[in-house]
Amino acid sequence: MRASHFCSACGKVQPPVPVDYFSFFGFPRKLNVDTGLLEREFYELSRKLHPDLYARAESREQEWSMEQSSLLNDAYRTLKDPIKRTEYLLRLEGVELEEQSKAATEKARATGEVKKQVVPPDLLEEVFELNMQLEELRMQKKAGENDPMLIQEIGKQKMSLEAKYEALLNELRGYWDQWDKLVDSGAEEDRRKVRDKMLDLLNRRNYVRNLVRDVTEALESST
Amino acid sequence: MAYSDKVIDHYNNPRNVGSMDKSSPEVGTGLVGAPECGDVMKLQIKVNPQTSVIEDAKFKTFGCGSAIASSSLATEWVKGKTVDEALQIKNTEIVKELSLPPVKIHCSVLAEDAIRAAIHDWKKKQDVTKPVAVEAQ
Repeated sequence: MRASHFCSACGKVQPPVPVDYFSFFGFPRKLNVDTGLLEREFYELSRKLHPDLYARAESREQEWSMEQSSLLNDAYRTLKDPIKRTEYLLRLEGVELEEQSKAATEKARATGEVKKQVVPPDLLEEVFELNMQLEELRMQKKAGENDPMLIQEIGKQKMSLEAKYEALLNELRGYWDQWDKLVDSGAEEDRRKVRDKMLDLLNRRNYVRNLVRDVTEALESST
Repeated sequence: MAYSDKVIDHYNNPRNVGSMDKSSPEVGTGLVGAPECGDVMKLQIKVNPQTSVIEDAKFKTFGCGSAIASSSLATEWVKGKTVDEALQIKNTEIVKELSLPPVKIHCSVLAEDAIRAAIHDWKKKQDVTKPVAVEAQ
């Protein structure tokens, strides 16, 4: 059920209740979102909540309509974007990336066990190697040199990274389906497994994204 | 956000930048990354097999100033320590030494992870190269 934004008796705007973005629109905490419906709901609510409508209303109504409108915008922007939506859900599900990493390091120190790295080793190798090449490219640029072979090689890797980036989004959609099924009927433990898989995937994706950005910058400044 | 003087010093004059032969049995390599920022850090140690003392350390980090300073400091600290002593280095000590702000704590975590990963890699090599005890007939 949608959170009540208006009084059921008099229809006046209400102060925002602290709800998550999914409940704000009356959606279940699922990752496959009907974006058409989301958009329609957004436009309808933004019309009804628009502060201009309350220009002559009591000051607290003005205030509430402003608060509700800003919440509406945040909620819409977050849910519309597939990655932001997933990240938001993971936060709702209690994922604290940095806290987890710190805790895992402390555990490794205390027990002597090896900490599991969130980024797979082969991806790290790739990131490292490519960064070495980028550094070489920048140094050549500084020295006024130009190595077409190196530029071509980096360009090729950029394309493979972009393909990887796309593929990760598709993989993520697969997890959405698993997650949504588990929301209706599923054990807490299974949900946590899917949650952690999504987290791993987003971490990998962050890496690839940053790398694509760096490569693009380096190539642009060298041509 | 302003970097502390120590971070700037390590950033401008990083200690022990470079690499060592990954395949050498005396060298341990740790390659770690922080998905929060996309940093990647490689830390290598050269260990004396008799004494387990870390005789040399090298690093190469792609990342922000704090990540570079954390790994630079880590190489300074592990040198001359035994591997067991080096395993006691805490990320909080790096935070303190470099006066890292809360948003940069993950850089120090990364440096500690890199030390551990390098030592783990070296230990793994020792297990393989150690002569297997011959069972009594």
